Amino acid sequence: MVNKEVEKILPLVQKPGRYTGGELNSIVKDKSKVDLRYAFCFPDSYEIGMSHLGIKILYSVANSRDDVWCERVFAPWTDMEQEMRSRSIPLYALESGDPLTDFDMIGFTLQYELSYTNILNMLDLAGIPVRAKDRGGLTPIIVGGGPCACNPEPIADFFDLFMLGDGEEVTGELFDLLIECKKVNTSKEEFLKRAAEIKGVYVPSLYEIEYNEDKTIKEIRAKETAPDKVTKRIISDLDSVHYPDKFVVPFIEVVHDRVVHEILRGCIRGCRFCQAGFLYRPIREKSADTINTQCRKLCESTGYDEISLSSLSTSDYSHLEELMEKLLSWTQDYKVNIALPSLRVDNFSEKLMEYLRKVRRSGLTFAPEAGTQRLRDAINKNVTEDELMNTARQAFSGGWTAVKLYFMLGLPTETYEDVAGIADLAQKVVNEFYKNPDKPKGKGVQVSISVSSFVPKPFTPFQWEAQDTMDELVSKQNHLLSSVKTRKISVSYHKVNISFLEGVVARGDRRLSDVIEYAWRHGCKFDSWDDNFLFDVWLEAFEKCNIDPLFYSSRKRDYSEILPWDHLDYGIRKEFLINESKKAYLNETTPHCKIKCAGCGTNMLNGGKCDAMCKSMV
Amino acid sequence: MRCVRVWFKKMGMSRFVSHLDLMRAMTRALRRADVPLWYTEGFNPHPYITFALPLSLGMESLCESMDMRIEGDSTNEEIFRMLKDNMPPGIEIVKVADPISDPKKISYGDFDIFFDCVDNGDDIVKLINEILSSDELIVQKLGKKGRHKVLKDINIIEFIKKYSVSSFNGRVKLNVVLPAGSATNINPSLLADEIQKRIGTNANYTLIRKQLLTENMDLFE
Repeated sequence: MVNKEVEKILPLVQKPGRYTGGELNSIVKDKSKVDLRYAFCFPDSYEIGMSHLGIKILYSVANSRDDVWCERVFAPWTDMEQEMRSRSIPLYALESGDPLTDFDMIGFTLQYELSYTNILNMLDLAGIPVRAKDRGGLTPIIVGGGPCACNPEPIADFFDLFMLGDGEEVTGELFDLLIECKKVNTSKEEFLKRAAEIKGVYVPSLYEIEYNEDKTIKEIRAKETAPDKVTKRIISDLDSVHYPDKFVVPFIEVVHDRVVHEILRGCIRGCRFCQAGFLYRPIREKSADTINTQCRKLCESTGYDEISLSSLSTSDYSHLEELMEKLLSWTQDYKVNIALPSLRVDNFSEKLMEYLRKVRRSGLTFAPEAGTQRLRDAINKNVTEDELMNTARQAFSGGWTAVKLYFMLGLPTETYEDVAGIADLAQKVVNEFYKNPDKPKGKGVQVSISVSSFVPKPFTPFQWEAQDTMDELVSKQNHLLSSVKTRKISVSYHKVNISFLEGVVARGDRRLSDVIEYAWRHGCKFDSWDDNFLFDVWLEAFEKCNIDPLFYSSRKRDYSEILPWDHLDYGIRKEFLINESKKAYLNETTPHCKIKCAGCGTNMLNGGKCDAMCKSMV
Repeated sequence: MRCVRVWFKKMGMSRFVSHLDLMRAMTRALRRADVPLWYTEGFNPHPYITFALPLSLGMESLCESMDMRIEGDSTNEEIFRMLKDNMPPGIEIVKVADPISDPKKISYGDFDIFFDCVDNGDDIVKLINEILSSDELIVQKLGKKGRHKVLKDINIIEFIKKYSVSSFNGRVKLNVVLPAGSATNINPSLLADEIQKRIGTNANYTLIRKQLLTENMDLFE
């Protein structure tokens, strides 16, 4: 519960419901009866953080232990921050209202690179020094995890350790170690040394980086007993791993306010631009029975009226029909909708559309990603124009009149012809609508195309690529706009400077920590929010720190270069990535994992097992 | 299908739940409680729920009511038992009853305004009495002029139906009856803000709505 001082400022800020805590199903324990207090921080606003599935899972996992109390912390919005700073109210956790300095372990989930300044801001709001070397005592230990932990080097100096891969088990092992170390009051150094022995734990201070004259990395050296390579953790069996039976139900409206269920981890597709598609391998599916039972429990405990079946590619789930039958047997009476995000055009079936129509008719979104077949082959999207047109035809005859299409600009090997191809493809979808003899009367069609800018990411076949410069991206955006000839197609695109900064940080190294700290000290926070993004300050930060951002974003790397994340092992063989990168330049596709195993190597993390392989092959 | 009126208190931190958010929170609570709700029969079925008079963000209340339509033959007592353990924290069900008054007839609200003060409670009581016994106290109210929202000056004294002031335990309580409802609505925070300014302290205040009254000062029930 928040204290009196906080209560006084709540009437002065926007949406105070974000700061009160006490939501339904939030967990309150007696702090004198636990051995460890864990503050789980999401470095963005409450509305964003409370929509995130990972925090719900790990909150529940941690609190399932009697000796641990895990609480939630979000970044206060700028108006709240101002009130807190002016009254010296430190950042507090929502369940107890206690300041972060009361906690033994403070964890940040690293979802996107542009949230890094918020991490520094939250630590500072709590009165905690932002640099790890300036924090002496054993506690609070500052830890990080999540997708961006695959290259945490730009923020390595701010953290004590990172957890790589699935967090459900490794978090508990860290709790055990910290509880033990607290009892005998070991030093932080000793704790970190022992933490580094846990599989999946990366302690950046135990690695030394040496650079070449040309600023590339010469050597990454593990100190003392730290392993040369830190291997990510995976959960082997999704059916038996802990899944929450309750979600905290926010009072205020958040972005995704519904039951979310993760039906599979990993992705069989191998799109060469997609980091998540490689980071979350190998494929592990949950059984339809488990999903159905857990969904029902969640609906009952929350009162939500929508279930979202989430994964990187939901229509690739092997038992989707069985699952939908099971769910629909009770959701219709219970007035619960089912949302299926992340559908693909190449397996969008008549049957699937029927299911979608039984529940609320939501928008249809597909992601061809590139405008021409050549480029789609180069990025291994494995979607053909015919498949897209078939899907469009089905959707239109099923009564849909609006379709959304996602694309990327700036993909490796892209030409202006490929850019114009985006407009052509959208035009063909429009034409498909008018070919339909039973199109709804008096209604036009609306095709929205949303184009983002490609950012090369670690652990993808494109990790060596140069990102398009901002000028190139803007000129491609303009070319696309001038290629669209009808008002039935609307185009939206991202700011290129945000993508540029994301590109720098995504493949950055430890030398960027000064830049991030400088930017934060000069007012940068909530960088992923257009209104708050201070690009000029970032440019100033690069200049002051004497760092050329283009070195990180727009430089093509040699396959032999030591990359800042080379000491982190996500199970993907580098030779596999190199091979995929070479195939991209030959416009050669790689069939998806269910057709033929591409040999990425991640199944070795799971004792050779991967759910993409046919049962007969195993 | 029949209509029931659910009476509840909205206290403590739940006062920071806005009207729209309360709608959502209540709908979910009703679903959790497995209340036999009647759903609209349109394309997007939803339960039919209305609130008598929205409560301002930040104000507590002892007299909130929500009308809803239910199916089947559950008694009011049964509905009460289903609901009482399924409410979000801070919201307490008081009773479930048949609706008597028409929410359109709500004309007045009875409010308590508590000012935190230190040791000079009696002085503040005197001061508030002086302020309220004068003929004029101009405050700015957000009103409408055509489609635009404008600040209007109003003399809030004219709207005060009755009031009383008392002090106890380092707090001053101002009880006041002001117009509330769809015709004229005067938010008591307008009065509280002005008094806070006049008594020249940063004494925080809290507001609580105690009763809603009809035109003849009968209880809305």
